Amino acid sequence: MPLRFSKTSVVFEEGCAVEEALPLLEFLQVHPAARVNLRACTHMHTAILQVLMAVRPKVATLPGEDFLRHWLTPLLAPLLVKGAK
Amino acid sequence: MTSPLLERFISEARDLLQGSASGLLVLEKDPHDEASINEVFRSVHTLKGSVGLFDFPAFTKLVHAGEDILSVVRAGQLVLSSELVDLLLDALDQVSSWIDHIDTHGGMPDGADGVSRDLTLVLRAVLPSDAGDAGEAAMDSTASELKDLSWVGDLPEAERIAAFVAAAGGSEILAVDYTPAEDCFFSGEDPLMLFRQLSPLHALDIGTTTAWPAADALDPYRCILRFRVLTSAPRAEVEQLFRYVIEQIKMAVVAPHDLASVSGDINGGPVYEDFVDEAQRMAASGDWVALSRSVGALLELSAAPLLVASALRWLRAVLTAPQPNPDWVKALIGCIAKAEPDLHPLPAVVIARPQAEIAVAIMPMAAPPSAMVARILDGQRVMLEMVKATDDVMGRLASVERTVANLLEAEGRYADLVLWALAITSAGTDGSVRPVTALLEIWLEGRVQSVAEEGVAEPQPAAEPLDGYQRRRNDVPDHDAKPANRILKVEQAKVDTLMNLIGELVVSKNSLPFLAKRAEEVHGSRQMAREIKDIYAVIDRLAQEMQGSIMAVRMLPVSEVFERFPRLVRDVSRKLGKHIALVIEGEDTAADKNIIEALGDPLLHIIRNAIDHGIEQPEEREAAGKPPEATILVKAFQDGDLVVIEVSDDGRGIDPEKIKASALAKGVIDADRAARLTDQEAVNLVFFPGFSTAEKVSDLSGRGVGMDVVVTAVEKAGGRVEVMSRPGQGATVRLSLPLSMAVTRVMMVEAGGGMLFGIPMDHIVETVRVRREAVRRIKNAEAFVLRDTVVPLMRLDRLLGVAAPMWFGDGDEEDAVLVVRVAGNLVGLVVDHFREGMDIILKPMDGILAAVRGYSGTALLGDGRVLLVLNLKEVL
Repeated sequence: MPLRFSKTSVVFEEGCAVEEALPLLEFLQVHPAARVNLRACTHMHTAILQVLMAVRPKVATLPGEDFLRHWLTPLLAPLLVKGAK
Repeated sequence: MTSPLLERFISEARDLLQGSASGLLVLEKDPHDEASINEVFRSVHTLKGSVGLFDFPAFTKLVHAGEDILSVVRAGQLVLSSELVDLLLDALDQVSSWIDHIDTHGGMPDGADGVSRDLTLVLRAVLPSDAGDAGEAAMDSTASELKDLSWVGDLPEAERIAAFVAAAGGSEILAVDYTPAEDCFFSGEDPLMLFRQLSPLHALDIGTTTAWPAADALDPYRCILRFRVLTSAPRAEVEQLFRYVIEQIKMAVVAPHDLASVSGDINGGPVYEDFVDEAQRMAASGDWVALSRSVGALLELSAAPLLVASALRWLRAVLTAPQPNPDWVKALIGCIAKAEPDLHPLPAVVIARPQAEIAVAIMPMAAPPSAMVARILDGQRVMLEMVKATDDVMGRLASVERTVANLLEAEGRYADLVLWALAITSAGTDGSVRPVTALLEIWLEGRVQSVAEEGVAEPQPAAEPLDGYQRRRNDVPDHDAKPANRILKVEQAKVDTLMNLIGELVVSKNSLPFLAKRAEEVHGSRQMAREIKDIYAVIDRLAQEMQGSIMAVRMLPVSEVFERFPRLVRDVSRKLGKHIALVIEGEDTAADKNIIEALGDPLLHIIRNAIDHGIEQPEEREAAGKPPEATILVKAFQDGDLVVIEVSDDGRGIDPEKIKASALAKGVIDADRAARLTDQEAVNLVFFPGFSTAEKVSDLSGRGVGMDVVVTAVEKAGGRVEVMSRPGQGATVRLSLPLSMAVTRVMMVEAGGGMLFGIPMDHIVETVRVRREAVRRIKNAEAFVLRDTVVPLMRLDRLLGVAAPMWFGDGDEEDAVLVVRVAGNLVGLVVDHFREGMDIILKPMDGILAAVRGYSGTALLGDGRVLLVLNLKEVL
């Protein structure tokens, strides 16, 4: 399971496929304060990205993978929790 | 783990596979059937798209290879031969077996990777060597031109500078706007994944096409994103990468000077006058190295948000080129001096690559174009002539321009290239394609003449595939106007539940007449009784209509089953070297889903039998004065409340003598009985278990299971099988099945002293009253004569183990006898009384009652009593 949900956070792991988009959206709707940890994410399907862009959750860590880090940082940086890197 | 998505994929994949297999068979007969090519290609393409959602790489690769072949076939570069169809069908079979495996086990079987690799290699080997690129490039050159480039200036400066540097290094910068279709996630597209593969990528801007909906109204699977990128990847590569969504992307070349804009904080920072003077001096003397060094030094000192810093960064980018453009350098230095924002600081530069070479190669129309070039040119000409509307012409023109220019460049015809550019320009100014087509015609004439001189003539047919291909492209765009799907896919269990509920309703409704009777008899209210009856009439009508419509939901056309046959007949006849034409009639005839499903295997068996045993080899047929190609006719039609399916062949028919001999040899019948059999009865022997006349066991039919399997299956569904044969002229097998198994018509009888039993109506031949005198005793058994036939007589009481009532008195009294036909024999059944016939919903016995023999099930009567329905075969 590439997405791990806990009460206060979602941890992305490896490639997150399209079918994760709905669970993610539902989780974020129920837990608006949850933080998103993208560090271990290697690819996220566009549908997942769309959910993140629409819901604008708090982001705990940016993706470590080069492509995502490079191109998604402008989108995700405003969501970054203060104090996190 | 199966997800709803996977389930949906499986059912969709099966439909797609079926669709492509039938399409392939049509194509085999008529390789130029464009509709079928498109259909097959689209099915396989969709399948590839959907499987991409899951992690089945072996699956994806194989489907991809199939798709590549089909795309080449579609482009007219490859003709579908029977062998190729075989190959593709094999691949589809493999895929279909994987689907089954995924369905049952949730994943691909072990070893799938190897199988996929082998099959993929075989498939790829068929592809023409350069088809992969050439074919795709030719068909995909229609990405529309991006008109609005204003967004480029809004991209982050760093990204624009990166693109600019790449441009300075000699690459062409493409701006690509990709607005995916809203349902793109369902067809397996992942735009982000596409951009990941696009390299080098200089800028990626992700925005939305509409405002974001509220978070709770968001549909995560409706894509409302749009992507804008700058890339220095070659155009062909971009088009190749986006080939499946080519209609959703727009592209344009961005001139480097359009990338630049100088903006930022005007105030502050060190004094730049000195730098400006010095820089102007260095620029004038062309000392780029020194200038570059001092720009770098100054940048270190300037705060990044400053306008000056922005100008310096651009200056540095301009200076990275091996030959910096002096005008640009001066313009940027001017910017620094003025310290004003400038959105378009750099003067436009006309990029004219071929100009240098023109002087070298002045040889207009030297050699006539080669055959391949002529073909492409002609295709382009046709392409231009096909379009009528002006706006379309310009788009088309742009794509033609590119294709021809590339072609001329590749051929080294620089002089022609100049002529071409002139023609294009004049076409662009007066909005007519005339100059362009005229030029193409001149070139092509040169080709025709020179061919005539050489004495080789074949240019005209060569142009045909492109011509036809173009026509096909024109009717493809149903992507845009896809009608909404009005068909619901519902699980069968849900429909079954609904039907059961309606069944219950029918039964409960039947208790209303009893209630009316009670109201009248017990409570003495006639008025009440009449009102109840009125309401009953309404509910009755509604219930009947509901029953009718739910039956209609379950109805399927027999074509569901017939679809498999063309493939079967083709495979089997090829294997046996027989020529067979399959004719299918009445495939629209509908019947209940269960019946249709029960039909599949028996029919398959019958057709196999017909091909294997019935139809002769072509030589044998010719010797018998028949056409070498045999015909198998599969015909379905409705006959009352039965659906009838006939399979007829014009083969050798069934030889009764051979059947008798074989039945004797196998001990199915004895010699005595064999002698008494009529021809028809002998033919019917094929239905006996353990009977098979095939001399040798082939892998087609005659596996030791005979027609008895067919009979069992059909009878289980409540149907009948008949065989008719005309020796030497062919045989016909006729299956008759009820339209629906949901409602059974039974006749109620009373026996065993007032107990009610139902007897299925299709067994009943007639009801008679037999005088007791007329009953003859033959040893222990009783019999009576019905119209000169001796009919054995059984007493239902005794069969059910109930003591028969004692009988004294005169022989004039009559017994109620139900004459039934069981397994082809007439039997008289003595009952106490006949009651009415009625429609019931038969519920099979379950639980511990399932083991009780003699009954096929129960039904509820309107007054709440349970009716036992007899299974006469087991009782007698």
